Amino acid sequence: MPPVFDLTKCSGCGTCEDLCMADAIFMKENKQGELVPYVKYPDECWHCGSCRQDCPQGAIKIVFPPLMLTI
Amino acid sequence: MALLESLGTVLEADVLVVGGGLAGANAAIAAAERGARVVVMDKGKIERSGDIGGGVDHFLAFLNTDDTWDTRDHFLRYLWKIGRGTADPKVVEKVYCDELPEAIKRMERIGCPLTQPDGTFYRTRSMGQPGPYWINFVGKRLKPCLAAEVRRLGCTVLDKVTATELLLKDGQVVGATGMHIRTGEFYIVCAKATIVSTGSTQRLYESPRVNPFNTWLSPFDTGDGQAMAFRAGATLTNMEYMRMTMMPKGFAAPGFNAFTGMGGRFMNSLGEYYMEKNHPMGNKAPRYDVVYYSLQELKAGRGPLFIDCRHLKDEDLDHLYNTLGYDKDTLPDYMKQRGEDLKSKPVEIMVSEGMQCGPTEVTGSGVKIDQNCASTVPGLYACGDATDAQRCVHGCITGGYAAGKGAAAYAAGVKLQKPDSGQVMAIKERVYEPMSREEGISYTDAENIIRKIMTENAGAERSEGSLRVAGDKLKKARGYLSLIKAGDYHELMRANESRSILEVAEMMVQAALFRKESRNKPYHHRLDYPETDNENWCGQVLVRKEGDGAELEFLPIAFDDGGENNAARV
Repeated sequence: MPPVFDLTKCSGCGTCEDLCMADAIFMKENKQGELVPYVKYPDECWHCGSCRQDCPQGAIKIVFPPLMLTI
Repeated sequence: MALLESLGTVLEADVLVVGGGLAGANAAIAAAERGARVVVMDKGKIERSGDIGGGVDHFLAFLNTDDTWDTRDHFLRYLWKIGRGTADPKVVEKVYCDELPEAIKRMERIGCPLTQPDGTFYRTRSMGQPGPYWINFVGKRLKPCLAAEVRRLGCTVLDKVTATELLLKDGQVVGATGMHIRTGEFYIVCAKATIVSTGSTQRLYESPRVNPFNTWLSPFDTGDGQAMAFRAGATLTNMEYMRMTMMPKGFAAPGFNAFTGMGGRFMNSLGEYYMEKNHPMGNKAPRYDVVYYSLQELKAGRGPLFIDCRHLKDEDLDHLYNTLGYDKDTLPDYMKQRGEDLKSKPVEIMVSEGMQCGPTEVTGSGVKIDQNCASTVPGLYACGDATDAQRCVHGCITGGYAAGKGAAAYAAGVKLQKPDSGQVMAIKERVYEPMSREEGISYTDAENIIRKIMTENAGAERSEGSLRVAGDKLKKARGYLSLIKAGDYHELMRANESRSILEVAEMMVQAALFRKESRNKPYHHRLDYPETDNENWCGQVLVRKEGDGAELEFLPIAFDDGGENNAARV
């Protein structure tokens, strides 16, 4: 599940995709033809927080999945 | 015969660094500072790759202050006391002790000092230390700072290129091949010296948190370097130790040293502080002892377990809360989203899954290195968590630099050799084969088999019978490796990792079978040989490839600790 992108803030710069050590974040075109990030391999996220720390727009939140918050 | 250039992108280097994490980045800096042409290969982007890509908060050091414990001599006694013969102190002296003063200065120079803003060191004690050896520091930008220095020095950085095999010529390592994990581009790097710095091996045991990528160290540490070095004929050691640690329930975040360093107390479900009852050092006992006694509490029905910080002063709690976030950026978010509050209630913790990551904080497992960080194969060097004599942040920063120096000196005395194109072609065919399969199994399916076998038969409590079963089943699992299908290059990278994980599992099982005693329990706990036998087993089990199997032998290691620490203590 994490990270969660606020696409109203995202500039589509691709920093998060570039530095994701899981290779979990990919870019795709939205309906307006703009590049936006999405998590292609959510189960492989290590929650290292690098994407959030380095996002120039502060557009990333980390939301932990229910399993991790419950067990 | 095909030209190398027709098979992929060819690069030449004096020193090739495979794995640009903390150790690899320091190795690249050392080699480049000595004028070597350096190529760094990393499956991530070096600004944020490796175990501390997201940040780190601790560094183990003696600082030669007036305190008696704060000296090289006392550090070596500590190494011997908790390491119990798992590394050669003479090698650790060279790759860690000798490098320490310069490493501390280097961190300051690159913009990530180990000091607090007022210039002092914030030091804490845990894990069997004779005094506060941990330096707490703000390492959230350590990797970006190191990466900037690597690039400033003119190193060629191959980001997102995963190493696939070491290249051999006349018994020497002459470089490595790699594959870009997005474009699939194949790289052939010819190098006079090659350094393996690929970290530990995770995803080796079943995760008690379900997801195998929810690991303490990076789940992208998959033993690639250890497996490649083994295939190239290098000697590996300490592979029998299955490391475990204590971690917050549900999230495999680090924090153990921060919690216990600040005075956190391990508590069972009856409210008893079980480490204070079981160990003379209490909550500050060596990590393996804490894990061992935690497992005993669980077996006795006194679980679940907690870490209790309610008694800490507000200022200490503030420091702890901050430092947890330096070590794992998202841990404070996790605690908040889970509803944890250190001040008002104990935090539930758990014993982690197993991993291949050395027997202690100061001795490691993997490629056996000498005082110059050279392996037993000419041209191959190693550093960081992929070696037997370096571990943790301090081991990677000091030891990485030592390896860069060693490799650069070696490279200065040899000629560049090109591998035979036939060898490169065979590697390329093997690496890309999973992409050409129309049917097959996923890397997840293949790894689940390995993890199940290891968890059930080669875990915290092992015996000859269980280890033999593990060995037989892993042989069968190996057959499934050739059935893995990859739909894209990301999956192809994972398929390559699955193979490394299996080969590390095979080495671990064989080494664990060979060592007929228990040492650093529960990391190597043989139920059929439950005692530690220092007369016969104080030293390392060496593993080396021989034909299709492995040759194992025992290397005794001795140290004169002045009689202060009794190595026979279990």
